[in-house]
Amino acid sequence: MAENEKLDDTDRFNLMLALTGLLVDGQMYTIEELMDHFKVSRKELIKAVRMISFTDLMKSNMDGKYYLDADDLKDGYISIDYSFSHAIEEVPRLSSRQASALSAGLVYLGSLPGLVDNAEIEELKRILSMGSQSGKKNTVLIEGGFRDSDLVTLKDAIAAGVSITCDYLNLKGETTLNRLIEPLRIDAQGELFYLRAWCPINKGVRSFRLDRMRNALPTQIPISEDARNAELVDEIYTASESDTVVTLEVDPEAYSLIFDFKPVEEPESVTKTVKRFKIKVGDVRNLGRVIARFGGAARVIAPQSAKTAVRDFALNALGESTSTTPKDVE
Amino acid sequence: MSSKSDDDFDLGKPERLFNLTCVLLYAKNGLTKSQILSSVPGYDADYTPGKVNPALEKKFDRDKAALRQLGIIIDGEIPEVEDENNQIYVYKIKRETFSWPTDVKLTPRQLALLNLAAQAWAGGSLSSEASRGITKLRALGVVGNSSDIVGISPKIQAFEPSLRELEFAVTENITVNFDYRNPESGEIKTRTVEPWVLRSIGGQWLVLGYDEYRKEPRNFMLRRIVSPVTQVLDSKRSPVTFEAPEQHVLDAAVESLNEHAKSQEAVLSVTPGSEAWFRYELDLVADKKDNIHRINYHDVYVLAEQLREYADQIEVVEPKQLADLVQSGFRKVADLHG
Repeated sequence: MAENEKLDDTDRFNLMLALTGLLVDGQMYTIEELMDHFKVSRKELIKAVRMISFTDLMKSNMDGKYYLDADDLKDGYISIDYSFSHAIEEVPRLSSRQASALSAGLVYLGSLPGLVDNAEIEELKRILSMGSQSGKKNTVLIEGGFRDSDLVTLKDAIAAGVSITCDYLNLKGETTLNRLIEPLRIDAQGELFYLRAWCPINKGVRSFRLDRMRNALPTQIPISEDARNAELVDEIYTASESDTVVTLEVDPEAYSLIFDFKPVEEPESVTKTVKRFKIKVGDVRNLGRVIARFGGAARVIAPQSAKTAVRDFALNALGESTSTTPKDVE
Repeated sequence: MSSKSDDDFDLGKPERLFNLTCVLLYAKNGLTKSQILSSVPGYDADYTPGKVNPALEKKFDRDKAALRQLGIIIDGEIPEVEDENNQIYVYKIKRETFSWPTDVKLTPRQLALLNLAAQAWAGGSLSSEASRGITKLRALGVVGNSSDIVGISPKIQAFEPSLRELEFAVTENITVNFDYRNPESGEIKTRTVEPWVLRSIGGQWLVLGYDEYRKEPRNFMLRRIVSPVTQVLDSKRSPVTFEAPEQHVLDAAVESLNEHAKSQEAVLSVTPGSEAWFRYELDLVADKKDNIHRINYHDVYVLAEQLREYADQIEVVEPKQLADLVQSGFRKVADLHG
């Protein structure tokens, strides 16, 4: 839930339940404390506590109400008081879907090497099943097959705030030895790991694929001020102003592209199963491998230069000359 | 002191559900439907005593279903004290089914791990369920905190639109229908499946379940489901449920796919020093004397896709089917991008 995101009905009701569960202890919280605790916007928070205070059991011959102190609220404080003894006064249980989504997330964490030990995961899964309606043990099994030995080194370096050195193979097939980088975050995406790190040479955040990295070693050098202040966006591929907008069409077999590249706008449905969307690409020549792997389930619609790049990649892979294909045609 | 003075918004669904929950939790002996409809804010305005209002009753039924999905179960029962000839159905929410058990606590580290587990779904099919779960857990008052999991942002790849419905069907043991594309022929058939468990293997999602067409447990890849997943309904339009398999049956079915993968081996010739060489960690193999890499696989189509990314760095030695698939895929791509 993003901080400034508008909640839907279900989320808002869910927040009301949770807020009540916390606030019935009679303690006073500041608006900021609750915004931070529940990761919601000020607007949504205030809306939710007001709604709670509108609860009115009078008509059902039950004399009950949650009282919200309006003066306190004006001063930035939230507390509620209630006059009936049997309404919501505890923390609500999780639904089976909520518990199983969290449980599946835990299974995934457990599949990442060196992060959490299994006993901890099992204990949490046990807690979730006690605190939910679910009778089922496992709805999701996740097998990662991850085995990256550098992961623990990198994790420790990030926690310690120090730079690392490593050998790295770039996309052009060149290996740089002993490259110094300042690690910020490890992004695990499906079966691949990326290290998001500040590169002091390029003066920017770069993504390094861990499967192309070798011999990661921590140094004694603390990461720089620049690195600490660097903004990390969620997308591995970041777009810039000079990028080309490319239109793609995908069958369900290639929906992963919608997930991996942030489309410029919401994908539209061309048929029941085919989706069309636009992405921004720095260099269309890199599209070849991305699109060709799907063997036809992903297609570039425009521009022609991107189509040509994909065609060239495929023909090159087939060992056929591409000299007849004009390059960089718009 | 009430805050109603500057009330500037309507009574919407969240407030109605909240009022309904409060009333039914509070009413120890339960409430009849007309008591609910006449007194709970959100229904009462449309209620006329002595008159049946089908739209209002439907609204109540929908709300019951919505609450159920959120883990709040409204029980309907006939109280024992009622005269047999004057049976009145009453509704209530049992406290023990509503409340988090008071003796179950979370440590800051545990909440931090659960936060991370919820974040792992970000943007994926189960992200809203996971984050609603976390919101409820935050009501326990604990603040998540753990220094050794900072710096990690795990992300489950879960973009398949069918995942959400299938996960629900697995949780609730509901039989489902979906259209499935055969990867070999491209033919699409509607399948009826009792979904047992969802699996993610190397980033690929599968649903394992009893296939009513083949009359045996089968695995279906979610990427090949080309229709919405729908619940099979009985004559009363209620979802058809099935009995969950015993653990040993499930384990055997899970293991059977693993055995299948072990029996399928591809032999690849990889260019030394290339990206593919690194990807398969052949540089780490001591005394590597040839370019050959052997790999086991579940699904030949998925493997072909992975290999195409490395284009001219890998040559498939065997099986022939894999070599052909890699080539025909490239041919198709070239033709489609002319």
